[in-house]
Amino acid sequence: MKYSYNWLKELSKTKLAPKKLADLVTRRAFELEETEPMSRGLENVVVGRIEKVEKHPNADRLQLAKVNIGSKILDIVCGAPNIAPGQKVPAALDGACLLSGIQIKEAEIRGAKSQGMLCSEKDLGIGEDHAGIMILESDAKVGENLAKYLGFDDVQLQFDILPNRAHDALSHIGMAREICAIEGRKIKFPSIPLHKRGKIVGNLSIEISDKKICPRYIGVKMEGIEVMPSPTWIEARLKTCGIRPINNIVDITNYVMLETGQPLHSFDASAISDQKSRINIQVRKAKKNEKIKLLDEKEYVLNENDIVIASPEKALALAGVMGGENSGISDETTSIVLESANFNPTMIRKTRARPGLNSESSYRFEREVDPNLAEVGAARAIELIEKYGGKNVKVSAYKDVYPAKVKPWKIKLDPDYAKSLLGENIPEKKIKNILENLGMKVLGNLVSKREVEIPTGRIDLKTQEDLIEEIGRIYGYENIPAQAPRTELTAPTPNEKRIFENKLKDLLVGLGFSEMLNYSFYSASDIEKCGLGIAGHYEVANPMNPDQQYLRRSMIPGLLKNININQKHFDEIKIFEIGRKYRDIGKINPDEYTVFSGAYANSRINSPFFELKGSFEALCRSFRIKAEYKRHKRKYSVWHPGRVAEIWIKDIKIGKIGEINPLTAKQYGINSRVALFGVSVDNLFNAFLAKERQFRSISKFPSVKRDISMFVGGDIVYADIEKEVEKSGGELVLGVELFDLFEKDGEKSLAVRAEIGSNEKTLTSEEIDAVMGKIISNLEKNLKVKVRK
Amino acid sequence: MLKEKIAEIKTKSFAEIEKTASEQMLYDVKVKYLGRKGKLTEILKNLKNLDEKKRKTVGALANRIRMEIENAIAKHGREMSEKVDWEKEAIDVTLPGKKQELGHLNPITLVQRDIEKIFTSMGFEIADGPEVELERYNFDALNFPKDHPARDMQDTFWVKSKKESLVLRTHTSPVQIRYMEKHKPPLRIVAPGRVFRNEATDAKHEHTLHQFEALMVGDDISVGNFKYIAQQFFTIFFGKETQIRLRPSFFPFTEPSFEFDISCSICGGKGCRTCKQAGWIEIGGAGMVNQNVFAAAGYPKNKYQGFAWGFGLERLAMMKYKIDDIRWIESGDLRFIKQF
Repeated sequence: MKYSYNWLKELSKTKLAPKKLADLVTRRAFELEETEPMSRGLENVVVGRIEKVEKHPNADRLQLAKVNIGSKILDIVCGAPNIAPGQKVPAALDGACLLSGIQIKEAEIRGAKSQGMLCSEKDLGIGEDHAGIMILESDAKVGENLAKYLGFDDVQLQFDILPNRAHDALSHIGMAREICAIEGRKIKFPSIPLHKRGKIVGNLSIEISDKKICPRYIGVKMEGIEVMPSPTWIEARLKTCGIRPINNIVDITNYVMLETGQPLHSFDASAISDQKSRINIQVRKAKKNEKIKLLDEKEYVLNENDIVIASPEKALALAGVMGGENSGISDETTSIVLESANFNPTMIRKTRARPGLNSESSYRFEREVDPNLAEVGAARAIELIEKYGGKNVKVSAYKDVYPAKVKPWKIKLDPDYAKSLLGENIPEKKIKNILENLGMKVLGNLVSKREVEIPTGRIDLKTQEDLIEEIGRIYGYENIPAQAPRTELTAPTPNEKRIFENKLKDLLVGLGFSEMLNYSFYSASDIEKCGLGIAGHYEVANPMNPDQQYLRRSMIPGLLKNININQKHFDEIKIFEIGRKYRDIGKINPDEYTVFSGAYANSRINSPFFELKGSFEALCRSFRIKAEYKRHKRKYSVWHPGRVAEIWIKDIKIGKIGEINPLTAKQYGINSRVALFGVSVDNLFNAFLAKERQFRSISKFPSVKRDISMFVGGDIVYADIEKEVEKSGGELVLGVELFDLFEKDGEKSLAVRAEIGSNEKTLTSEEIDAVMGKIISNLEKNLKVKVRK
Repeated sequence: MLKEKIAEIKTKSFAEIEKTASEQMLYDVKVKYLGRKGKLTEILKNLKNLDEKKRKTVGALANRIRMEIENAIAKHGREMSEKVDWEKEAIDVTLPGKKQELGHLNPITLVQRDIEKIFTSMGFEIADGPEVELERYNFDALNFPKDHPARDMQDTFWVKSKKESLVLRTHTSPVQIRYMEKHKPPLRIVAPGRVFRNEATDAKHEHTLHQFEALMVGDDISVGNFKYIAQQFFTIFFGKETQIRLRPSFFPFTEPSFEFDISCSICGGKGCRTCKQAGWIEIGGAGMVNQNVFAAAGYPKNKYQGFAWGFGLERLAMMKYKIDDIRWIESGDLRFIKQF
């Protein structure tokens, strides 16, 4: 909310300058969002009196004016024709810098000296009128700063009011109470006495259909109203608070709202009376499809969630939100009904959620207003209307419907708990002062009675901790010293999985891969392009755009997009991501798990599979995990049908590695081949944990390396051969390694090197030959390979 | 007589050794003097013909010279083998090395590691929770009233589900509840993770963010303790003394609640462009855990006290590395990532 510094100063009697005040409020209550001096552009502009007007000797359209600014008389050249001696006008002096952009300097204008400039409203940036010089009231004080004369010597302070404090702090009184409490005193606000006019019933009746929708309604009929502009000071304050002045009645309702926090509304009494001048106000829920035309000249279709103020015939206003089109104050208005009421916050919130219905009034009601404030608001408005609403204003009827009066409540407060929670030994006297300065009553002795009575305006105060917050912030958090917690010195249980993930990341970085963070979303089109199938996907109910419609079940679309954007800058792309995937399995808790995936693309390599697999294998070696790669039988359109493998560890499939189907890659604008893998971090982690890490003594006995070259049939894959060699040789095979591979005339030739040895002795050449013989014969028998001898 | 002869052998042999230019020549010299019929060997062989006194002195001398010659031969041999044509060996050492590309971590990971390291050093455990979260954990258990505006469509991504009301978690705070359900105080945890806000993206806003949550619960944990931990954290994180400023705020899950500012890491509090002349930078929210939150986690009310604290990793990363646009972080652009 935008506050007027002068207003706050008047109510709180603070002596602090705007900046200091704002800083203090920021630390103890609400953050300053913006501050703006209202006098901007009016510095060095004063009230001047024209003493004499002469023709300019060298220009027909210009005049020479002698202008008295109190301290001296200036010569000013002026082009506007509407000036005459005796008038008071705004005179911009040397050094002024007007909002319209004009900078004032002493100058010679066509041979005549000019020591300033006389200004129009438009020149000053305070109005649209630029036809002539702005003529001020005759009582304006010569030499006075124009900003002060106009009431613009104010500073707008915009504070961000916390949502739980809207009840009391969206008002100048509320903010002034805060300022007083911060400065260590109670606010002295002339408490407006309950109006004795309650007896004047007149012909005004008020019916509330349900006290839940409207806990209180005060209606005041006032006659003898003269609608006219408000006094300058009211207009200036409204402008400082960002509200456009309209006329005295409307301005006063706004003024009282800004001052007290109570939203008010005024009806033209003649527009809501029946033919016998009786006024019968009903507060009720709107009927389904009931229509109403509001002040903004738009028609709204209502439902049972809306509250209306109605005559027996029709709805007059949308309660707490906006007045009706034909019942508002006009220049012809002579009698009014002033409404100071209280409405259900939830219903107001639903009503104003329609576009265009956000008003200062709804803003406050939807945040809940104290029903007792209605009386304060009504009384203050009556006081001001009696003063500024016309010479013969009188209250002719007053009615207050308040079926269930809200009374102050009590909260138990344990001062020791307050001290413990804040971590500061605040004296109990200080606690008492803070609470009382904020308008609470501390009953009896704090120590013995431990009860605090809460004023009804502080709807937010419900628990002991709420009070402790009040104590802490007014005491000043900066006054609470930082204090090391006294706690047992325990070593935290390490998060092994996080450590593992970090290790994964570090290894990948070492292997040249860079880390991507992709969105958890993708689009229906991604699902289609990658052939993922819509089943099992969670859909976002309110996505911002179609790109975020589904939660990812696969990391592939994200990585393909990454490759697409990087391919124009890099020939080789090595990336990885560790992130979550989500799958709807029809249970309460989603199937959400962490996936680790990597991708490799190189515009110069046509088969990136082995590059990537090499990196993955290096990772596995580092973790001492032995992964198996099995040909993937099921057809996924996203994978290249002949270049994809399942990754298994023991009996668990942990993921896949392969090349992306070039047709899919093409749909993502990728022309090179892409290899990609994705594995479950949990499975990898479990395999890592399961692996015993123990030193194996290094054999004292020598081992030998023997090569086996063979021709291999079409169905046999390398993994079969490796397995056969290991199986046939048993413990004596210490390792198997591929060392040559070529294809010629449709025949695949392959050579492996086996390391043969024993931990127990040096093998004799006969023993070695026996093992090799067994291996070779098994290869030939079981896999039908032709071993080259 | 003999002594002079031995001395002469020494001088001659040394001179010859010095002149040899190959292994073979050196061998020949060795044979000439120390071989079976070598000159010095001859003398040693004839020692037995001398009288005892002479034999002793000449023998000792001959043996010493023999060792000297052997050493000189070995030394000269070593010198010859170590002789290399260094000119020929020379390479252009300014040529680049064989290229070995290392990868790069995302700045969010770097910042997250910093945070985890500092907190674990203070005894905090690292906790984790799901990103697709039950509305119950994301809102109800954290004391958000049923009609709280934060549940509104504009802030929260709701997930269509037949079983239970699901959201993409809007903060890491649900981890507090999940952890407290399974652990009793005293406890200290930190929970970094991905969160989501249904917000349009621009240079300062992202719908996918990373946050961390710190929670400390015990019998008498206070605002003063929070200030201490926060000060420790930032002082280490930024590598210089950092001041904390708490301002009143409001969150349903804490009471009292604070916004907290840190003294500007650029100007040290004097006022600069980064902090908009304020000397302080707004960092995040914190507060003392609301008793209703303890109750939701199954703790008795008014038994424990604790603080909860959270802020965005993006903001920290952007401050630490002077990143000007939040969208870089999830851009996937290697030109960005390779700078870290």
